[in-house]
Amino acid sequence: MTAVLAKIVFGSYVLVIAAGALTAAISKSLVRALLGLILTLFGVAGLYLLMAAPLVALMQILIYVGAVSILIFFAIMLVRSGPQEDGARPRTVRQVVLSLLALLAPVVILGSAILQGRARGGPLPAEVPVGELGAGLLGPYVLSFELISLVLFVAMAGAVLIAFEKRGKR
Amino acid sequence: MGSFSIPVELIRIVVGVVAIAAFVALNAIILVYLERKVAGHIQRRPGPFEVGPHGILQTVADALKLVGKQLIKPAGADAFLFWLAPVLGFLPIFLFFLPMPFGPVLTTLEVPLGLLLILAFAGLNVLAICIAGWGSNNKWSLLGAARGVAQSVAYEIPLLLALLAVVFMKGSMNLSKIIDSQGAWPWQWNIVLQPLAFLIYFICAIAETNRAPFDLPEAESELTAGFHTEYSGMGFGLFFLAEYANMVVVCAVATTVFLGGWKGPFFSGSWWFLAKVYLLLMLMFWPRWTYPRVRFDQLLNFNWKWLMPLALANLLVTAFIMKVG
Repeated sequence: MTAVLAKIVFGSYVLVIAAGALTAAISKSLVRALLGLILTLFGVAGLYLLMAAPLVALMQILIYVGAVSILIFFAIMLVRSGPQEDGARPRTVRQVVLSLLALLAPVVILGSAILQGRARGGPLPAEVPVGELGAGLLGPYVLSFELISLVLFVAMAGAVLIAFEKRGKR
Repeated sequence: MGSFSIPVELIRIVVGVVAIAAFVALNAIILVYLERKVAGHIQRRPGPFEVGPHGILQTVADALKLVGKQLIKPAGADAFLFWLAPVLGFLPIFLFFLPMPFGPVLTTLEVPLGLLLILAFAGLNVLAICIAGWGSNNKWSLLGAARGVAQSVAYEIPLLLALLAVVFMKGSMNLSKIIDSQGAWPWQWNIVLQPLAFLIYFICAIAETNRAPFDLPEAESELTAGFHTEYSGMGFGLFFLAEYANMVVVCAVATTVFLGGWKGPFFSGSWWFLAKVYLLLMLMFWPRWTYPRVRFDQLLNFNWKWLMPLALANLLVTAFIMKVG
């Protein structure tokens, strides 16, 4: 019963993710494309939930939906002046062909991996308490954890640097 | 479990969500009346007085009027986005109340990460404001939305840091457990240990719910009505409901995390919870009729130069004392 239910839920999350991704890629309006992206992010959060990782799922929503996509929205608002002017240029044949080619790459790589590996569903992983998760991040995985924060720090410092340079030139 | 028995959790959630819906609607009607009365008395006038004794039916009449009004979409607006926004603003309300411990057993769903659940979905409110402002095809709406974004992204950080200080001390994000760790008497509440965190949280909560003096996204005197300028009838009604429900949510979180939740001297129970929530709501009404709206640069400077460093320092000191003490 639970296994069937899990498959149904998994299928619906995958549908949500695919629909969101397609909207993000095809939609002519930038804001609608962003909404597609947000839908995808929600779907991914759902998958985390299905994998018994509620902390990661909620963090996904908190950070990506609550902050990153909002900042993308801000960028759209700053760049475009109104909802009527954000129609994209029609796509050329060349662009369509190239994007389809780009689509082929992950399909071939992932497809061959799946065909060779014969993916089997494992048992549901046990939910790790937040405390243990934190101890793990600051224990055995401390180096990778700190390296990721370093990447974020560099990105932030870069953003500040760019902003200050512009202010100086004016 | 039989082949077709309904899980208890599901029944609990369905009953809980229905109760939440009733609570939110009723509460909004009472709060709007209360706010207008409080505003009136602060400004030395009676407030609503015509409909019913002491105007007590005024908001019911207002609600009926809102329901009856025609829904109008401005020409050139993106219809999908325009109608999505109010719904998106209102839906997360149910999620916010889901892990809320109204009383010893009055919790719809025990969520180990309850606090995080509320904070995660709080971002949807900003998204709704963005979409509303963008979808309306109106400069005022767009300006309101732009302000809303900058404001909520900024004030979300000290808010999180302030709550994190308490989570540090208690080692749990389960709202019921945070209440369990506090005693019945006021000096056993977390506010005594974390007064600065409470102050920061409360200021940020007012800003996050877009209440005066931080109501820049809808600043009536500058932007007509900000992001909801173009909404009529229940389109506006949903935003309105969501705003009042959000106020209750932030006050309920403050009650749970800082003020001992449903625990109180002598008779612990949901009435203590409601009493504290309403007291905080009154505190939220107060500055609206006392202070003028802040300017946008004041708003952001106050956050980045005062609240953020203070919240960070508070968190550091908390961590230090936890480790040493």
